Amino acid sequence: MKHTVDLTVNGEACSETVEARTLLVHLLRDQLGLTGTHVGCVVGECGACSVLVDGKLVKSCLMLAVQADGRDVTTIEGLSGGAALHPVQEAFVQRFALQCGFCTPGFVMAAHALLCANPDPTEAEIRQVLSSNLCMCTGYVQIVEAVKEAAARLRSCT
Amino acid sequence: MHIGRSLRSKEAPRHVSGRGRFVDDLVLPRMLHACILRSPYAHARILGVQGQAAAALPGVKGVLTPDEVRELSKPFKPGRYASGLRVPIPEYSGAVGKVRYVGEPVAMVAADTRARAEDAIGAIDVDYEVLPASSTIAAASEPTAASIYEELGSNVAWEGHVSYGDVDGAFKRAHSIVRERLTIHRYSSTPLEPFACVVHRTPELLTIWCNSQSPDVIYEAITEALGIDAVRVIVPDVGGGFGQKIHLIRKYAVMTALMAVKTGRPVKWIEDRSEHMMAGGHSCEQEFNVEAAVARDGEVLGIKIQDTDDVGGSISTLTIHFTNKLNNLFNTYKVQHLRLEGRSVLTNKCPVVPNRGIGKPGMCFVWERIMDRIAQELSLDPIAVRRRNLIEVSDFPYTTPNGNIYGSGDYHALLDKVLKNVDYGDVRRRQAESRQKGVVGPLIGIGVVIGVEPGGRNAARDMAIFPQSKQMPGAGGVEGATIKLEKNGSVVFTLGSPSCGQSHETTACQIIADVLGAGPERIALASTFDSARSPWGVSASNSGNNFHLYDVGAVHGAATRLREKVIVLAAHLLQADKSAVQIENGVVSAGDRSMSFAELGKIAYGNQAMLPKGFEGGLEATYYHSHPHADPLMLPDMQGRVRAQYTFSSAAHAAVVEVDRETGRVRVVRYVIVSDNGTLINPSVVDGQIYGSAAHGISVALGEGFVYGQDGQLQTLTLLDYGKSTTLETPHIEIEHFPVPDPFTTLGQKAAGEGAAIPSPAAIASAVEDALRPFGVTVRDLPLTPERVWRMMHGSERVRA
Repeated sequence: MKHTVDLTVNGEACSETVEARTLLVHLLRDQLGLTGTHVGCVVGECGACSVLVDGKLVKSCLMLAVQADGRDVTTIEGLSGGAALHPVQEAFVQRFALQCGFCTPGFVMAAHALLCANPDPTEAEIRQVLSSNLCMCTGYVQIVEAVKEAAARLRSCT
Repeated sequence: MHIGRSLRSKEAPRHVSGRGRFVDDLVLPRMLHACILRSPYAHARILGVQGQAAAALPGVKGVLTPDEVRELSKPFKPGRYASGLRVPIPEYSGAVGKVRYVGEPVAMVAADTRARAEDAIGAIDVDYEVLPASSTIAAASEPTAASIYEELGSNVAWEGHVSYGDVDGAFKRAHSIVRERLTIHRYSSTPLEPFACVVHRTPELLTIWCNSQSPDVIYEAITEALGIDAVRVIVPDVGGGFGQKIHLIRKYAVMTALMAVKTGRPVKWIEDRSEHMMAGGHSCEQEFNVEAAVARDGEVLGIKIQDTDDVGGSISTLTIHFTNKLNNLFNTYKVQHLRLEGRSVLTNKCPVVPNRGIGKPGMCFVWERIMDRIAQELSLDPIAVRRRNLIEVSDFPYTTPNGNIYGSGDYHALLDKVLKNVDYGDVRRRQAESRQKGVVGPLIGIGVVIGVEPGGRNAARDMAIFPQSKQMPGAGGVEGATIKLEKNGSVVFTLGSPSCGQSHETTACQIIADVLGAGPERIALASTFDSARSPWGVSASNSGNNFHLYDVGAVHGAATRLREKVIVLAAHLLQADKSAVQIENGVVSAGDRSMSFAELGKIAYGNQAMLPKGFEGGLEATYYHSHPHADPLMLPDMQGRVRAQYTFSSAAHAAVVEVDRETGRVRVVRYVIVSDNGTLINPSVVDGQIYGSAAHGISVALGEGFVYGQDGQLQTLTLLDYGKSTTLETPHIEIEHFPVPDPFTTLGQKAAGEGAAIPSPAAIASAVEDALRPFGVTVRDLPLTPERVWRMMHGSERVRA
């Protein structure tokens, strides 16, 4: 049986028909063509599919598309809101906080959510929160540095 | 100068914006989605596969059974890693006749959606005759064990050895013989993006988009298996490789290609995480019996190593871990006499593939554990024992007894610096104080080790083991790069190998900027690897630590050639002598006259009247690099000596750990590295390679790994069960660079990729053993899970030496 889902994605209203079993990540990737959200494990362990739903960090492989009905979704493609790069994205570039780039959209979204909730986190707090996501390339050192850098940039903006 | 500074990443902006382009992002018209039925048994005969019910389901367009795989394709030719087989054994892309490990691909379904393909998998009926499974080296080696390949008669599929120097003589001279038995478990590098293929077949050409590290393997596999000459392999962005995406991925490339041929439509196949964990390839479980002949002062006179590798349920990578040990037989040590015996034992487990450092972490573990044991048995300082055996600065360039040439290095300086940076004396003081306090607080330990990171593969290495090998696997290395100055003054280039996230575009861009005199913001990679366009040779692989040697050499050579051409044109147009022409930031000048690259470009491509007489139009250059010092010993000599790899980075690692007395949990308090990667092109990029490979080795030492049941069922199908380290378990890692330029490479560069994964398991083992000194225990086995460490403290697992 098919269902209609009405949701806002990156500020744009969408109406999509999905199967009951369709995951939010597959709606985003396969139906809306937003391929920046990646699938690394599809069981909620790696965080590569992290997006914001109503401003909260969600692993989009753990949410059914029908559960997103009426919600406001932000993916990596919508983070900068039209600017070249969001300060978190810029910090990831500056600090070499990525290698292959597969986990990166998820880490950027997770770091953004962290800094919204806690604008001045300690290294221990950064490491605690980002343990939701896995990176196989970097050993996390430059990711942690990038989040510190992004925090400083965002604080100086406000 | 752009070489030597951390130029802003070329690749990062697209990845942080979600604009990376991976195989799964590709959609073709009328594309089908494939899914694979895998064996639920570790060992079984396939009596029959019925696909009709699945084929009749809604949306299903094709089912590929083992019989069809046999009819439609030829088996793979035995590659260099199966050269040691006693009898030739055909291996197809999918299981034919038997399954030999859980997850082995049996059949494939293609449907109009992925979900429908997954639904249809359940409707395929397979009749299995279940056979007894062997899940350990010991079980598989029993004379009564069921044969995994009947043709071989025994599961001990290969035995062989290499020997250098006078090993028996060394043992006769020895003051004492130090013996140890060591094991390393199965793990993987678990790239976050699993295998992925899209195949489009037309009558003229078969095109495959595949996240392979070695497109040459895919090219040859499809050519051989399908008998198609016109094959094009495109490698877009790759979500991590580490060696995982070299060998087994060809099975799936061929199955996807067969499905595209069968259905006449484009087919996409994307592996899922649990499939990758069970069948994407593991590192070998390795057992070592080591005997070192030692002088009274700790000098190692000779060493004998027996190495038994659990190679899983396939003959295709039978000796891959063994032959990779030739790259690192002697670590940083001047030992002259060595014998290495190898045994490859088949088991009903996932086949083995390379991952960060393959074979070399094992050899480093052997050397560094035996150094600690020698120190303990002879009551010497462990650092002093290492120093006694190090290759000295005055020895470089140094040729190891098996023919590897270490270009440069200063191993004593690496140790000096790492001891200083980790505050070695201070750690020992705090350790002594805490031991005096008795049974409260965590146990402090420190481990200091040293190792080399070989780089730049010689394709002829395996002939040292298999001189009878009739199929020449290639020799040395060849790899190209093309650089073009466009009509608009921008510069684009193509590399002969794919990237898996090691910033190849950024690094190449820095070299081009300096050699050609272009602004780095105007330089870009034209496209990722495309066999139809990339200048590729035998080294066209994101493996073997090849990039720094072959690609850097090729980029430098092509940029030098293009610069010469630019100077000829500029000298003509500026009416100056060639020697007076300068190039800087995309502007050519001579005296007070100058022109931009864009002005040059317009003339080079558009205005023959302004070209010098006989000048070839356009501004493009291609260069294929081979290591000028590949010889001597590019081909093995009669003593089995061969230059297995061409450059040797080195590093000293110091780990400080705290072991929880109650739980056995190990916390890495500090992890300090001093690293010699030769001339650094982009220090932040090199840092990233070191951080990542160190984190992997530490995670491996402390618990990540595969666990099988006696029945051959894999019990670690998810990343959580497998135990991959997160930000919480991974320590902050400190790096000091101590570059000693290589005298034989283009810029003095050495490898930086897998390096820190090589000594880090040994560093953690050494530190944990040091922490557990009050218990008098010896660390012989990885991983050091809390349970194993707790049992060691409580005397219930192999605790006494």
